[in-house]
Amino acid sequence: MTALIEKLLPETSGSGDGFDRLRRAARSVLLEHGLPHRKTENWRYTPLSVLEAREFSGTRSVASDEALPELPSSVEGVLHLHDGALDPARCHLPEGTVLTGLVPSDVDTDALERGGPNDAFAWLNLTALEQGWRLHIDRSLNAPLALVMSFSEDFAGIVHPRLVVELAAGARAELVQVEHGAGEGLINAVIDVRLGAGARLLHAIERTGGATAIIQRIRAVVGADAEYRAFVLDGGGVMTRQDLVVELTEAGARGEIRGSAVLSQRSLVDYHTAIHHRVGPSQSREDFRILADDRATGVFNGRILIVPGADYSRSEMHTGNLLLSDQARVNIKPELEIHAEEVSASHGATIGQLDDLARFYLRSRGLSDAEAIALLKYGFAAAAFEGLDEEDEPLAEWLRQRMSHYLGDRR
Amino acid sequence: MLNIKDLHVTVGGEEIIKGLNLSVGAGEMHAIMGPNGSGKSTLGYALSGRDGYEVTSGSVQFDGRDLLELEIEQRAAAGLFLALQYPVEIPGVNNAYFLRAALNAQRKARGESEIDSMAFLKTVRAELAQLKMDEALLKRAVNEGFSGGEKKRNEIVQLAVLQPKLAILDETDSGLDIDALKLVAEGVNRLRDGQRSFIVITHYQRLLDYLKPDRVHVLSDGRIVESGDQGLAERLEREGYAFLEPGEA
Repeated sequence: MTALIEKLLPETSGSGDGFDRLRRAARSVLLEHGLPHRKTENWRYTPLSVLEAREFSGTRSVASDEALPELPSSVEGVLHLHDGALDPARCHLPEGTVLTGLVPSDVDTDALERGGPNDAFAWLNLTALEQGWRLHIDRSLNAPLALVMSFSEDFAGIVHPRLVVELAAGARAELVQVEHGAGEGLINAVIDVRLGAGARLLHAIERTGGATAIIQRIRAVVGADAEYRAFVLDGGGVMTRQDLVVELTEAGARGEIRGSAVLSQRSLVDYHTAIHHRVGPSQSREDFRILADDRATGVFNGRILIVPGADYSRSEMHTGNLLLSDQARVNIKPELEIHAEEVSASHGATIGQLDDLARFYLRSRGLSDAEAIALLKYGFAAAAFEGLDEEDEPLAEWLRQRMSHYLGDRR
Repeated sequence: MLNIKDLHVTVGGEEIIKGLNLSVGAGEMHAIMGPNGSGKSTLGYALSGRDGYEVTSGSVQFDGRDLLELEIEQRAAAGLFLALQYPVEIPGVNNAYFLRAALNAQRKARGESEIDSMAFLKTVRAELAQLKMDEALLKRAVNEGFSGGEKKRNEIVQLAVLQPKLAILDETDSGLDIDALKLVAEGVNRLRDGQRSFIVITHYQRLLDYLKPDRVHVLSDGRIVESGDQGLAERLEREGYAFLEPGEA
C-alpha cells in the first residue's frame, strides 16, 4: 500500500449499517488496483502531488449560520453540505422533492466489478460510505434548487459525500450546484443522476476550488426522451478533477455539456467528460472552453462513444482553449469512437492566444488595450453559453456574472 | 482636417507606402482607388495605429494634433474611424454592449458624460432601420454569423453611433450586391454634414456614383500618382490602371 492510499483510506469500521459489505469490497478493489499515476492514461496530466504533500486531519465543523454563497435570486430550496456533511434539519426542500438516506441497493455495484485505477476515487468514496443521500424529484419544479457545498476556513479533512439525484418521468428541474473551496482538505464526491422517461434536468455547476482539492464523479443515466444538460463554470483551484459521464440509454435521450474554466495563478483543473450513445436515435452536444493564465494548467478530455447498434445518433463536440501567458498550459484530447451506422458526429478543437486583429478592432473603436483584452477574454468564456432558449437565460446570465467575477471584472 | 506629408510605412520589413501626400479638408470626401498591392489598406491601418504597420518617416496632422503620437484608442477618441474591409467577429461579446462600451470609452476620454442608454438604443435602432437590418442583430455577438453584407452595414451602424470627425472606409463596397451597396451609400451620405470628412477606399466606380466624392486619387506602388475629380474615376473604369504607366503619372 502506498503512503498516499494509506493517508486517504478511512479507518476501517464495521458499523453494521448494511454498507459493511460494500465498504469492504471497495477497499479490496482499491488496494488491488491502486491509485492512478502518471502512466494511467486518464490521469497523465493531473498528478496527485497536492494530496501527497498534505497533512489531513479529521476535524470537521458544524455548519454555521454564515451566509450561503451567491446564488441565483430565483432559487427556492437549498441542500447544504458543510465540510462534506449534510444536516437535513438545515435543508429547505421545495414541494415535489423528497430527501432520504441512501440504502445499499442505491449503489451501483457494477462499478466495483469493472474498472481500474481510473475508478480509484469512486471506490475510495465507497470505502468511506456511512451516510449518503437520495434526492427524489417527483414533479417539475417551478424554481431552481440549490446544492451548496461549503467549507470552513480550517477544513483539513477528507470527506466523501455521495448523492443520488432522481427525476421521475416527465419531471423538469434545475439544480444549481455551488462549491466554493476553503481550507486545505479534500472533497471526494460521487453524484449519480437518474432521469426517468421524458425528464429534463439542467445541472449548473459553479465552482472554485481555492485551496480545497476537489475530486468528483458525476454519472448521469438518461432515459427515453429525457435530457441531461450540464452548464459548468470553474474559477480554478489548487486541484480539481471532474469526471462527468452521460449515458444515453434509450431512444430520444439527449445530453449536453457546456463549460468554461477560467484559470489563473497555479490552478490545476481537469475535466474528463464522456457521452455514451448506447442506443439511437440519441443526441449530444458539447462545448467546453478553457482560459488559462499565469501558471495555470487546464486539462480536458472529451470522449464521445457511439456503440454498435446506436444508429441515428448525432453528436457535436467542440473544445476551445485560450492561452494568456507563456507559462499557462492546456492538455486537450477530444475522442470520438463510433461503431454505429447513419451517425453524424462532428468534433473540433482549437488552441490559441488572443486574436491580435480582434484586439486592434476593439481598440480602434475606443477601448483601451486592457479593456479590449478583458472583453475578448470574457467573450471567449461566455460564448460557451450562447444560443440558449429564453427560459435558460436567467441561469446563464447568473453564470456570466460569476464568470466576470472570476475574470476580475466588475460588470 | 487631415494633412499627410511624405508618409512612409513598412509592413513585415517591406516598404508599402513610399512617400504619400494627402490633404483632406473638413467636410470633404476623398476617394482612393488603385490596383491590388498599392497600399490602400495599409494606409487605413497605419492611420489607425495598428501594430505591425510601422511609420518610418513622414507626418500626419489630424484636427490640429500629431496623429502618430497617439495610441490606437486615443485616435478613436480624437475622432478617427476605420471601417474594416473584413470586419472582425467577436464571439461572446454582445453587439449592443460593445458599441455602447466603445462610445462611452471615447466620451470618457474626451471628458464627456456617458451616453444615456435609452438615447443610445434609440439612435442604434433608428440606424438599423435605415440600413434595413434586423434589430435581432443587436442581441447577437459582434459580427458573429452575420452575412458579409450585414458585417459591412454593421460598420456603418458603428460609424453612425460613434460620430467620428474622419471616417476611412476600406473597401466597404467589396462583396456587396447592388441593394446592399445602395443602403451603405445612403448610410454614408446621411452622415455627411459639411464638417465630417471621409476617405473612401475602393476598387470600383459604382460606389462613387452614389457618393459623389469631392476628389479622387489614385494610389499606385505606395504613392498617390494622380488626383482629379469624379471624371478620373470614370476614366479608370473605362481604361483600367494601364494609363498610369510611368510617363503618365
